[in-house]
Amino acid sequence: MERSRRRAWTLAAAVTTLLVVLYLTGGVLSGLRSTANLVVEPFSWTVNEVARPVGHLLAGAINYSDVVAQNQKLRYELGRAETQVNESSSMQRQLQQLTMDLDVPFVGSMSTVAAQVTTNSPTNFAATVDISKGGDDGVLVGMPVVANGGLVGRIISTTPHGSTVRLITDVKSVIGVTYTSGQSSILISGRGVNNGLGATAISLTTSISPGTLFATDGLNGGLYPPGLPVAKVAKVTLTPGAATYNLTLIPTADLRHLAYVDVVLWEPST
Amino acid sequence: MRKALVPAVFVTLVIVAVQLTVLSTLRLDGVVIMLVWLWPLAMGLTGFTSLALVTALVAGIFFDTHAATPFGLTAAVAVVIAYGASRLGREGVGDLDSAAWWMTPLLAAAGGLCAPALYVFAGFFAFNFGLWRGSVLAMMIVNACAFFVLSRPLTRLAMAISSMGERPRR
Repeated sequence: MERSRRRAWTLAAAVTTLLVVLYLTGGVLSGLRSTANLVVEPFSWTVNEVARPVGHLLAGAINYSDVVAQNQKLRYELGRAETQVNESSSMQRQLQQLTMDLDVPFVGSMSTVAAQVTTNSPTNFAATVDISKGGDDGVLVGMPVVANGGLVGRIISTTPHGSTVRLITDVKSVIGVTYTSGQSSILISGRGVNNGLGATAISLTTSISPGTLFATDGLNGGLYPPGLPVAKVAKVTLTPGAATYNLTLIPTADLRHLAYVDVVLWEPST
Repeated sequence: MRKALVPAVFVTLVIVAVQLTVLSTLRLDGVVIMLVWLWPLAMGLTGFTSLALVTALVAGIFFDTHAATPFGLTAAVAVVIAYGASRLGREGVGDLDSAAWWMTPLLAAAGGLCAPALYVFAGFFAFNFGLWRGSVLAMMIVNACAFFVLSRPLTRLAMAISSMGERPRR
């Protein structure tokens, strides 16, 4: 009994030491990750092949009427979007010309790489997605990712054929944004997987109300180019006695239903 | 233990694959059910400490290689859960055949309740101080409920695998 306990403690201590060493040495960690991916890949593939048809069958049977309604809505929205695209093409050309004259990068003129979302974050503690394009397609760490009407996040790691995107709702995401007139910048941050974004300590003199749209400020040294829609204000909270607002924000992009994204081939200036 | 090691590791890899492919998509109230924590707990309840620790380590490490969270944190939590469960298992607490039917699910639910909090706590040692900012309470509740429901079939599977090796010393 005593021997067994000692053995268990020794094992636990060895494991802890190993984990700390692996955590502190990024090189070993990278190799370990690749090896582990290779080992798990056949199992994941098999499980996916078995589970996906069953899941689709169940989801289709349960949500059929919702799917039909959603399809009709999407057709309607697609029609509207096509109309808007046609209407705005001339305005966009004009804006592009103006921004070029002002020497400000304009997202509409930047190259993008379309990628499919392959997996969602497997954990509750990080808001990330994996996409199907990586280093071989020109995707680099730090590049912004957009989809579904706004900024989605930025690339945090790449492999030759895939990348990981940290979503803007991740607790490690901090974004410099501007609103309405574009003269004031504030920092907003992610609040976790299901909690949107937030900003604290906003001066009472600012004119922010629910519905106000925030877009990236594109300041020198910033992580994003200017003008990418990020989030809308959902709630403005004033703590009694405080001299500042707190903001609750909803991302403009629908992060819960990401299927395809665009990686903007833009690197932050260092 | 040696005879049971290979099937235990095999099943653990399948569990990790299910976690990565199915459960990362199939969220309850936006929360991922952490099968990679429940499985070591179920193995621990069989009373085989070493086997449970190996299972926890394999499940945790392979899961951590796919997550953008501090490497080793899931594994560390799994090891703690497995060790705690194995101590109970060696005393016969949570035995499917002799204890009350609700005992195993209750222990699993307690594990599911504690695991996310333990993870956040462990995050401080990895210099990651932002983990508490997610919906930790929702994670605790959802995982506790899921562990309660899934614990009996998984513990039954764990018993079948561990019985391939020698009996645990009580």
